[in-house]
Amino acid sequence: MTTTYGKPTFTQTLSAALAETRLRMLNISRYPGQLVLEIIIPVIFAAMPMLLGQATGGDQAAENFAANTGTTNYVAYLLIGSNVFTLVSAAFWHIAYWLRFEQETGTLEAVYLTPTSSITLASGVALYSITRGLFSSLTAYIIGCLIFQVNPFQGDVLLALLFIGFGLLPLYGMALLFGAVVLKVKESNALINLMQWVVSFLMGLFFPVAVLPPFVKAIAYLFPPTWMTNGVRSALLGTGFFFEKWYLDLAVLWVFMLFAPLFGFWVFNRTERGIQRNEGVGQF
Amino acid sequence: MTTLNVNSNSNSNFRLLTGSSAWLSTLIAMAQKELTIMLRYPVEFVASFGQVFLIVISLTLAGLMFAPQGASVEGKSGTAGVVVYGFILFMFLSDTLWAIGWNVRRDQKQGTLEQLYLSPASKFANLVSRIIVTLVWTGALCVMSAVLMSSMIGALPFNNLPLGVFILIMALSGTFGAGFAFAALTLRVKETAQTLANLFQFAFMVLCAPFFPFSALPSVLQTAARFVPLSYGVDAFRATMMGYPAGFPELAPIGVEIVIVTTFGLLMPVIGYWLYRREENIARTKGSLSEY
Repeated sequence: MTTTYGKPTFTQTLSAALAETRLRMLNISRYPGQLVLEIIIPVIFAAMPMLLGQATGGDQAAENFAANTGTTNYVAYLLIGSNVFTLVSAAFWHIAYWLRFEQETGTLEAVYLTPTSSITLASGVALYSITRGLFSSLTAYIIGCLIFQVNPFQGDVLLALLFIGFGLLPLYGMALLFGAVVLKVKESNALINLMQWVVSFLMGLFFPVAVLPPFVKAIAYLFPPTWMTNGVRSALLGTGFFFEKWYLDLAVLWVFMLFAPLFGFWVFNRTERGIQRNEGVGQF
Repeated sequence: MTTLNVNSNSNSNFRLLTGSSAWLSTLIAMAQKELTIMLRYPVEFVASFGQVFLIVISLTLAGLMFAPQGASVEGKSGTAGVVVYGFILFMFLSDTLWAIGWNVRRDQKQGTLEQLYLSPASKFANLVSRIIVTLVWTGALCVMSAVLMSSMIGALPFNNLPLGVFILIMALSGTFGAGFAFAALTLRVKETAQTLANLFQFAFMVLCAPFFPFSALPSVLQTAARFVPLSYGVDAFRATMMGYPAGFPELAPIGVEIVIVTTFGLLMPVIGYWLYRREENIARTKGSLSEY
């Protein structure tokens, strides 16, 4: 007697996604050192340009910074950059590393034999990644602000959270797109390292994208994290929205929200089908 | 059937496995192996180049935001000197931790460390071969990053070259010694070494001030920096290459710093290797050389 499986119901799909989230959470809870480092790294990372700037700019550091970026609060400006960087890195690392890990350990082949789609499991990983990334970056931002003695809750905090919330979906769409590349080239670490820096550079990690050359700037505007970072900085520090009004910038993120995940799913599915046909799923 | 004449070959085999020529031959073979592995992964090869350039550009642009003319600033050779020369030592320390320390873990996980200890090959040559890869690869990255950074921030100050090179060699020698010590720690703590490597890297970024002058550090951290020998390496190297501008070196007079850096460069490899041998013997006794 053979058992046949029908299309999973929504509840079953949700259950599978949440099980994947739980699995990842359980796994990371066994490595508390990694979590602590994730909070320390963005603070130290933002401190580098801060200390260099203080030393080279002297008493004029804040004024010079304001002339170039639109705010004298360079501490919060740089901390926002380094913490959005944490979110971006988390998205790329967690999605791509999950795929590569499953591929290396041979369990990706098994996943493709179950009635649960890989997109469901990727959604579970994304949920875990968002939770972990948000926890680390928000904690690091608050701790960083307290260490450098600036108010972490100045400006329009709710609007800043809206920009983060709306920016996350297109970000994970991009991460899925990147996951497809990892499946194809069978390499994760080097590619993620490079990609996280490409995106961070384009989103204006520690500087406004206005300083970039026109061609690079045009590419930067195509990246959702650029709008997310600038939105958070403008909401909290008043550095200025790209289209001057917050709702216009948010509307751009809405467009990304509709387009990026769909495009990511499409490319990912296409790549998956390709490697399934060409004996690539379980290849190390 | 082929038979092996043990008596006639034993002396020549013995000669091949001992002495300086054998050691050198092992070193060359092992360095060649490491370089071959590196070249077999072109994606990683290209990505690491790209990554370094992007980090350099991001940090440089960030520093320039504090300058009156922003990103268009030119001729800031003081800033260029502080950042570029500090960055060179940061790159070497970072790569040493991973290439020497973490790669021991890689060999342990792959099981090749156990195999190596069954062969008569020099274990010291194994560690030194990783230094050669770091010198070749990181050296090339440093030169290119320095050119890129100085083209963005301003002309690089270039003074007292022979003394600067001497300080760099001593600082690197000490760094490699620290790499041996980290390899020893890796044998003991295993997977946790990854987190520790990250932690050490960030501790170096703060305490050894590679991207900013020591004067920018809070006084507590400045005191802590004085207990780290590599801080004097960073300070002496960049102060010498910058031609001792006002306020440099920051931690101690240059004569004192040279003595500290030279002592660090001569003693640390010995201490590091001693620690490595000690952990290695413990691992062999416990049978944990190939423990996952």
